[in-house]
Amino acid sequence: MITKRQLGFLLAAIALLFVVGIVAVDMLGAGKWGGFGPLQRIGIAIGAAGVVVGAILIRIGDRPA
Amino acid sequence: MTWQRLLQALGKTLAALTIAAFVGYLVVYVVYAVALFRWPFDYDQGEGFELYDAILFSHGEWPYRDNSTYPFYASNYPPLFHLLIVPLLPLFGPRLIAGRLVSFLATLVTAGTIGLVVRRRVGGWFMPIVSGLAFLASNYVYQIGPLCRLHMTMVMFEALAIAFIAEFDHPQHGKRNLALGIFFLLCAGYTKQLAVFTVGAALSFVFLRDVKKAILSAIVLALVAGAVFVVFNAATDGQWWVNIIDANVNEFDYRQTLAIFGQWFRLHAVLVLLAIAYLGYELFWGRLSAYSLWFAFSLGTGALSGKWGAGFGYFTTAVAAACLASGLALGSLKLVLEKRQAGERAPRPVAGDGAGGQFRRGAAWLLAALSATLPVLIPALYLAQAPRMLHLPTSGPVFGPVARGLGVSDSHVQGACATFDYHDSMGYTQLGHLLTAEDYAAGERILEYVRTADGPAFSEEAAFSLLAGQPVVTNPTQLLNLYKNGQLDTTEMVERIYDQEFGVAVFRAQFYPPPVLEAVGQNYRVVEHVCMNGFYYILMQPLRNLEATPSE
Repeated sequence: MITKRQLGFLLAAIALLFVVGIVAVDMLGAGKWGGFGPLQRIGIAIGAAGVVVGAILIRIGDRPA
Repeated sequence: MTWQRLLQALGKTLAALTIAAFVGYLVVYVVYAVALFRWPFDYDQGEGFELYDAILFSHGEWPYRDNSTYPFYASNYPPLFHLLIVPLLPLFGPRLIAGRLVSFLATLVTAGTIGLVVRRRVGGWFMPIVSGLAFLASNYVYQIGPLCRLHMTMVMFEALAIAFIAEFDHPQHGKRNLALGIFFLLCAGYTKQLAVFTVGAALSFVFLRDVKKAILSAIVLALVAGAVFVVFNAATDGQWWVNIIDANVNEFDYRQTLAIFGQWFRLHAVLVLLAIAYLGYELFWGRLSAYSLWFAFSLGTGALSGKWGAGFGYFTTAVAAACLASGLALGSLKLVLEKRQAGERAPRPVAGDGAGGQFRRGAAWLLAALSATLPVLIPALYLAQAPRMLHLPTSGPVFGPVARGLGVSDSHVQGACATFDYHDSMGYTQLGHLLTAEDYAAGERILEYVRTADGPAFSEEAAFSLLAGQPVVTNPTQLLNLYKNGQLDTTEMVERIYDQEFGVAVFRAQFYPPPVLEAVGQNYRVVEHVCMNGFYYILMQPLRNLEATPSE
């Protein structure tokens, strides 16, 4: 059984990886937009929301998820 | 009359109005479906190709073929929907009604599944009935439900999979439920690849409750799905991979996704907000259910609606999940408040006089007020949702007066060459309207060209060829996708067009690769534009015919 805290860590980690991946797209030169594209901005917002939700779940503790 | 009785009477009236509104939508849906069952031609481009896949299967042939050689036809979908049509072919013949019936029944099963799950979880009749009917009342479900397209059959298998997986920890039937859930996930995936998000939701739910079972389930599913995949690929000499995977790698336009996302929210706002609230409650206060997770993951399915060739249909899983989760949200709230009320009848310690006591008294008063008004609030919420999805024909002896009563009698849908008496809160839509006598006449006119042609038809829609008993040649969007991905050799196709082997060309959207359109343009000449179903169909004949005929 997974707890809220474990789910929080998992969610925050996935969201962080997602954000890193989005930023890395520019470093690798992929994508058709020069600079930070609109899809990347949407992705960063979703990633940030994931991190916030993950942090809240971590604080909730050991209740079952 | 006391205020409690007044609220009760008001609640009952609103509940009756709600049921009437959603039954009204059901009537509109059935009328539309029956009209489509009678219509022998493609209503939505692609229907005929899906029927043709079923016909090929009934002959023991694969629809996953080399697109570069005659008849330049292949399917880009997995086989299950088409296999479900096969038993109906002896009954209906090679007619679109066979596939339309399967898809229509699939939507009824999905609605029934939503209703049954809500009934099992929260009891009563109102919530289960309205939750199921709300699914059928969605503009999206209405429009594509009775088409010979596989999408709604995938949604049915997804709903069944979630219903069983949600009960995988049942003390008596847990193993059976898990096995059935995995089986339906497999069915959903082999109906349409898009079911991958529901697979994610189902396995995530099992993972939260039992990590070992989740890993085992994932392994079993991957092994079975993978084995089927490998067998299909080997049996088709690799054409399964080309047509199912490569041909589905399309351009993505995020603006299309955002636009459809906004439209989906606008049309289903009450259901979506309730589902979001339920997800939030379970995430932070309760325990995540398979239904909430399905709703969350279904947004991923919707996000793919920006792919070329995709559209609002990608949100039908999210509509099903929202109907289910919203029903559970309101039903659970009702149950919690009823339990609380029952508990409050028992003697309880008196709250203190401090700030804490005042807060508790205030909260208790609020809960009591919510509990008293809930019988009114629940139907009122569904009544607020109902007009957001408004869609109906606006003429005729029954729908005409109803449309006048609803103030939409002046609404029309303007096609490229015809106007339809139909209102849809979506705005412009290619689907949903009823067909006219002119459409039937136009279909027969096009069919006559195909029947009398001295060679197979190079048609953008398969129904004309099927009705004329001619071979189906080309699947245009499949050819275009593969061409864009550099995986189509058009040499033979272009040569045959230059040789004017095809007796007639029938175009609507002209979704063919540019070299093919160019070759047709150089060797065929437009003989007539026929307006059918709001679209111009361009009929072209080979130059050799026209050169042989003295000019008028």
